[in-house]
Amino acid sequence: MSVLSLELGIFIVGVLGASALLQKNRHEAGSEGTRGTIIAGLVFTTVGIVASGWTWSIHNSLMKSGSSSMCASEGLVQCGSVIGDPQWNNLFGVPWGVIGIASFAVIFFFLMTLYLDQNAKRVPQFVNYLWYLGIAGLPFVAWLVVIELLLVEGAPHICPYCTVIHLSMIGVFASSYVMRERRANSTW
Amino acid sequence: MARRRAKSSDLTKNSEETLLWAGLATSGVVSLVVIASLALAPIVSIGPDEGNRAPDFVADAYNGGAWYEFRMSDIWDWDWDGNSSESKWILIQFIDTDCPYCWEEGDEMSQYHSQWKDRVTFVTVNVHLNIPNHDSSKSEIEAFRDRTSFGTDDNDGDGCNSGRDNCLNRPGTPHQWTYVDDPSNSIFSQWELSGTPFTAILQPDGIVAWNKLKHQGQGGDGEEMSSALQRLVGDS
Repeated sequence: MSVLSLELGIFIVGVLGASALLQKNRHEAGSEGTRGTIIAGLVFTTVGIVASGWTWSIHNSLMKSGSSSMCASEGLVQCGSVIGDPQWNNLFGVPWGVIGIASFAVIFFFLMTLYLDQNAKRVPQFVNYLWYLGIAGLPFVAWLVVIELLLVEGAPHICPYCTVIHLSMIGVFASSYVMRERRANSTW
Repeated sequence: MARRRAKSSDLTKNSEETLLWAGLATSGVVSLVVIASLALAPIVSIGPDEGNRAPDFVADAYNGGAWYEFRMSDIWDWDWDGNSSESKWILIQFIDTDCPYCWEEGDEMSQYHSQWKDRVTFVTVNVHLNIPNHDSSKSEIEAFRDRTSFGTDDNDGDGCNSGRDNCLNRPGTPHQWTYVDDPSNSIFSQWELSGTPFTAILQPDGIVAWNKLKHQGQGGDGEEMSSALQRLVGDS
């Protein structure tokens, strides 16, 4: 099975599109720039949620039959050995995909609140919350990359769907950074 | 053209309605993703109960020659159709090399293996119970399995059976199957156990078919493992 599948292509386009949108709006002052920044964050988050759901499906599929038609199971770039590794594919028994859905859902809520009302009094507080969530997500990304490259059986392996989720988390962090910057520079 | 710059003082009152709509949007997206994910691949029940998929694990294992990385699911036949007699069932046993009951069970296990080895794959998981004189090591596991000299027959904490015996004197014959080391007791925890010895029989595809605690525990039907093997696997 080819490593680059349709759904992976869509995820990658989503991440690239969000990155371009964030870059375009970063220095765009005023509410239009702010809206674009928030939308970029929402796109990163949506890709993160959907890709997490996809990895959860792969996880369930591997648990049921020992194989999954939704990912490659051989080679350096594959997910069978990563998501299928019972030692590393969960956190305290909870699949990483479920943790991803829950985490991105919280981020999505804050971003959607900002999107719906950019001038509410809660904005500074919610921008800070997003910033803290972005920072909190980075150690998990680093840890999961270490797992992929060093710890899973037959390491190194790179799970492309996991990488999309990691990039989405980094994108959320970057978006929250830009939002804080906009608040600090009074360009919100 | 002057752009509008919002300062904190420009911020308006919070609207609860915004939170409601954001919450609804979040719930909608998450629900869609969860439903789609479950439709693609439903959750599989994993655990020690009969009918569940046995918890999978990767751990150091000893086969009589060397230690190697063992993955439980590697011995499962995922394509088992429920009837094929070609596939082997699995007997998983949990012991502590210093547990007196496990020491005594050594002979029983030798007999079971002698009788069922052609139809059943045996796997023993050695846990490290947090009890005085239950300090275990890879060398002790090797000696327990192989029935070789380790420790003394004095009750000095050195050797098997709470350090009372030289492992060479374990009841039964040398065990000709895989021994897994579980130093952190993580496999033990996944099986929700509180003590040793414990045994379970798995179907060739890794589904738990018989759990000792369900039959020999409170409210169980008292079925012995030999009867369960006879019932499930058939004649040896």
